[in-house]
Amino acid sequence: MGSIIHPAIFFAVLVLGSLGVCLALPRRKASPQLFGALIAGLAGGLLLIAMGIAGRDHLPNIYFYIFSLIGLGSALRVITHPRPVYAALYFIMTVLASAGLFLILSAEFMAFALIIVYAGAILITYLFVIMLASQAPEEGEIEALATYDTQAREPIAATVVGFLLLAVLTTMMFRGVPQLPLPGPVAPNELLAQMPRKVESVLRNNRNPDTGQPYLKADGTIQITEVAPSPAHPAEPLFITINNPGEEPVVLAQDKWPEELTVKNVEALGFDLLRNHPGSIEIAGVILLMAMLGAVVLSRKQVQLDEDAKANQARKLAQDTLGGVNPGLGRSPLESTHAGGTR
Amino acid sequence: MPSTTAILDAITQLLPTMQHDAPNPAGTSTPAFFPLKSLYALIPLLPLLSCILCGVFAALRIKSKLPAWTTVLSLAVSFVLTALMARDLWSGGHAQTGVLHVFDWINFSWATGAGEQTKHFIANFAFYMDPVSTLWMLFVTGLATLIALYASEYMSGDLGAGYCRFFAAFSLFVFSMACLVMADNLVLLYLGWEGVGLCSYLLIGYFYKKPSAVAAAKKAFIVNRIGDLFLALGIWLTYVHLGTVQYSEIFDRIQPYLAAAANGRFDQIPLVVQIIPLLLMGGAFGKSAQFPLYVWLPDAMEGPTPVSALIHAATMVTAGVFLIARTYGLFQLSEIALPIVAWTGGFTALLAATIGMAQFDIKRIMAYSTVSQLGYMFAGLGVLTSGGAVFHVVTHAFFKALLFLCCGAVMHGFAGQLDLRKLSGVMKMKGWLVVGVGMLIGCLNLSGFPGFAGFFSKDMILAEAFSHHGHYQWLGWLLLFTAGLTAYYTFRVFFRVFVGPKYFEPGDELHGHADAAHDAAHDTHGHDPHSHHAKASVEHSGTHPQSEAAEKELADKAHGEHGHGDHHADFHPHAPGWAINTVLATLAVLSIAAAGLYFMGAHGGFVPHLVEQSSANLIHSEHAPEHATLFGQNPHAIMYYVSGVVGLIGIAIAYVLHLQGRTTAATSKADALLPAFGPVAKAVQNKWYVDEFYDFLIRKPLLVLSHIFHTIDQILVDGLVNLAGYLPKGTGKVLRPSQSGELHGYAIGMAGGLAVLLIIILWVART
Amino acid sequence: MINLLAQSGFPDAMHGVTLAHYLVVSALLFVIGLIGFITRRNLIIMFLCTELMFQAAGLALIAFGRYHLNFTGQTFVIFILTVAAAEAAMALALVVLLFRRKESLNAEEWNELKG
Repeated sequence: MGSIIHPAIFFAVLVLGSLGVCLALPRRKASPQLFGALIAGLAGGLLLIAMGIAGRDHLPNIYFYIFSLIGLGSALRVITHPRPVYAALYFIMTVLASAGLFLILSAEFMAFALIIVYAGAILITYLFVIMLASQAPEEGEIEALATYDTQAREPIAATVVGFLLLAVLTTMMFRGVPQLPLPGPVAPNELLAQMPRKVESVLRNNRNPDTGQPYLKADGTIQITEVAPSPAHPAEPLFITINNPGEEPVVLAQDKWPEELTVKNVEALGFDLLRNHPGSIEIAGVILLMAMLGAVVLSRKQVQLDEDAKANQARKLAQDTLGGVNPGLGRSPLESTHAGGTR
Repeated sequence: MPSTTAILDAITQLLPTMQHDAPNPAGTSTPAFFPLKSLYALIPLLPLLSCILCGVFAALRIKSKLPAWTTVLSLAVSFVLTALMARDLWSGGHAQTGVLHVFDWINFSWATGAGEQTKHFIANFAFYMDPVSTLWMLFVTGLATLIALYASEYMSGDLGAGYCRFFAAFSLFVFSMACLVMADNLVLLYLGWEGVGLCSYLLIGYFYKKPSAVAAAKKAFIVNRIGDLFLALGIWLTYVHLGTVQYSEIFDRIQPYLAAAANGRFDQIPLVVQIIPLLLMGGAFGKSAQFPLYVWLPDAMEGPTPVSALIHAATMVTAGVFLIARTYGLFQLSEIALPIVAWTGGFTALLAATIGMAQFDIKRIMAYSTVSQLGYMFAGLGVLTSGGAVFHVVTHAFFKALLFLCCGAVMHGFAGQLDLRKLSGVMKMKGWLVVGVGMLIGCLNLSGFPGFAGFFSKDMILAEAFSHHGHYQWLGWLLLFTAGLTAYYTFRVFFRVFVGPKYFEPGDELHGHADAAHDAAHDTHGHDPHSHHAKASVEHSGTHPQSEAAEKELADKAHGEHGHGDHHADFHPHAPGWAINTVLATLAVLSIAAAGLYFMGAHGGFVPHLVEQSSANLIHSEHAPEHATLFGQNPHAIMYYVSGVVGLIGIAIAYVLHLQGRTTAATSKADALLPAFGPVAKAVQNKWYVDEFYDFLIRKPLLVLSHIFHTIDQILVDGLVNLAGYLPKGTGKVLRPSQSGELHGYAIGMAGGLAVLLIIILWVART
Repeated sequence: MINLLAQSGFPDAMHGVTLAHYLVVSALLFVIGLIGFITRRNLIIMFLCTELMFQAAGLALIAFGRYHLNFTGQTFVIFILTVAAAEAAMALALVVLLFRRKESLNAEEWNELKG
């Protein structure tokens, strides 16, 4: 079979998409942003439809498409929205979509970590800084927006470069496309040997379908032994021997294991992190400490303005604001405060 | 050279009536070459040392005549050493060839691959003194000494840096001439050739502030260069074909060819070898001022007179003759080389004689006569009397130097006046007798007056020309006619300037000399200026055209102050001093004595005897050619009478036209005859428009070309350089906007660059 | 050359979403972030766009980790997250300082390296 979609169609759609993006970027005059967004959306939709039609025999996972669309749409809005706060909010939506994609990829921990750290911490910080550093106008008064927000700079050049890069990246990606293996036990079961308590609790909480009893009685113990794969037992690297009181030891065969007795993503990730990258964890901690200290140090600095400069600045700001308003209100709280402020 | 002996044997056995029938000591076991004493290496090196010393004197700002005495001394010692060397070489009755290796100069040997012999290029600083070069060195060093002595007084008006410069160039010239003559290989000869060319340029342009002198110097150098090119090609061809540039080896290697040429079998001689003499001839024509490369010699008279006497009369211009004499063997290998030489010489002789007849500047007339006489020498070489040609060289050197020095004395005494329309009766003036007598002797020699050396040497050439059958007969008549013309124009000069009514006008240099220099010059003569003026005024009172009253006034003025009020009336010619007179007298005596050489041996005498035993010897076929006759007689026997008659006729015509009944300096009966010749006369007066022709043919196109190149240089070369300067500037201007200082631009650049890079990688790795 | 381009190696049967899908999304996100970075002049939004690019990288890493059934991808993303957080903190602190200097968030005002 050759290609799913003819590469020319693919690239044509990409061109359409970049045209849409270009148009969607904010312009000085009345900009066809909506129009641009529509075109970009159309391009994205066409691409998906094309791929869907081509592979209609095997409908792929729909959730992938949903999350991807949301993510890409939000990303587009991030870069095209003239108001910074909205851009940050859209970014949060992108993060959520990205988290959804992670979920599909069986990386649950990463998905939530992403939401917690990115959306919960970093983006909130961004929002704070945006609000502190700009003069947020009311709804509809878009003229007060700084020009640097409303005008996109060199949209064509940027789009061309972006398209080039995209074309190159996708070309590289599509060489020898492998497919993802089926979702299944994503972690080797050997790790279970490291988690005896989990095994115990699982065995206690689940009932053996044959006997109706929990696998492990309340005061029973288990023994887990690791075995190298042998011709006799090629797929059973682990033996769990259940020692119920009053019964003889039973070796639980793997096909009799309860469904819960698998290694989850979080557990596997934790083990991997602590086993293979202990040093990196320490260093990451140090990095965070440095960032914290650095931020504190940086934001302590004050720029000294002399009296004349400050007077000029006040006058300028008074002119910049919407006439008649108290000049003090228009000033951003982020401006420097002298020892004896002018307020 | 054992094979020379063989040739000598051949000559003596085969020649019926040629040069000499003295017993050939071929049977005696003479060594092939005579090793010279190392002392004789000083002969060229002493003048070189004197040149360096004069340079030192110039740096030390010496204002006395020390450079002159240094030069005279070094040249005198060189002459003495040369005489000793000649005695060493010639004392055994059989003139030997002396060799001396002074030091290795160019000496390369290299292997040329398996199975082949190693190749050599050897051109050492070594001497090859065969009789011709020994003879040459004798008269070069002798004349140089005498002329240096003359110049010590003549150039005394220029004491200081100019004086030192003059004698430095003078000594360097003698060194170069010695290298040329004494060389044992063609490359050292070429070194000397170029050296004499350089010194000639330096000395012609001695008065470098005069534009005409500078132009003349350039002309001389450039025209010589054309000849030098041919000479260089000839030397290269010699090396390429014969594999050597050393004379001894050359003579060895052309033996088989000589044998073929002796039998008239020129077809057996390769064409390449036959071309070599034609190229060498080109060089000889350049240096010795033959047609068409003679135009530099008359203009070279811009240099001081000692220079004209030594370089352009006696020594440098004979270098061409020397070259042909030296490589005479090569010349005899080509059927046409010697005839071309003969006819070029004859034509040049006639051409120069006709031009000389119509000039008024006495030095220039002498220059044309030099060209003419050089033509005689070449003709002599061409008609196969190398002995006669060399003899003529020797006699010509003496009497031409004498003539030039006399003209120089006149120039020196009359403040640069050389126009024969403005001078008359000089011999009768007080103190000018020696000059006059010297001039007379010189003129008699030049005209071929019977009994003088010039007569005998010219006769040998004329006789030999008439001895050949065929076209050389015409050459003989041509040369004879030219002899008549020579006699005429020579005595035109003498009868106009030295005899006749007394008259003089000072020349241009009256104002040119500083008063101080003039006084200094006066004082060195040892005359009391006032008494000198008194004598002059007394002398003038009788014959000066001005009135007596004016004379008295003149005398009073002279007594009163040494000022120059009315220059014309106040000018007194100053007679030559002891140095000049001594030299002139010596030269006069020598030129008379040179005649004696003719009688030292049969059939031409001493010089041809020497020449035969040198490289300028002749080969002859086994069948002796039958000699032609002139008026039914053997030319050698009757030539004396024929040329004597012709000479006397020339002198008589000159007397009639220029002396008989002449009362003024400016005109003579000849002027009345001039219109009879019409346009020919005008052409002759304008030197047959040869210079103008060269100007049109060569100089103007070159000027146009140089303008073109200048424009190309300005546009292209300068343009390229400017472009090289503009490119970085322009590139910077173009690239500067990329440094906008804005983050976005850089980001685009980085992202775009990354994309391009990845595209390139993908493109390259497509498989 | 066409064969080198997109989708030349698609397998015969498509079992769901392939690695390529995720990588394409990641690339798109990255390029959108890049365009935003180049285009927007508000300093804070520019940094936001860099965060977008981080997102894309993380997505690609997770996808590869899933493909190779290796946890290194996820581990790497944890650290990327850490560094991104630290970097965001620093970047915002610097933006505050820059804002104090020029009283404006316009990145074009910082062109003193011009020329």
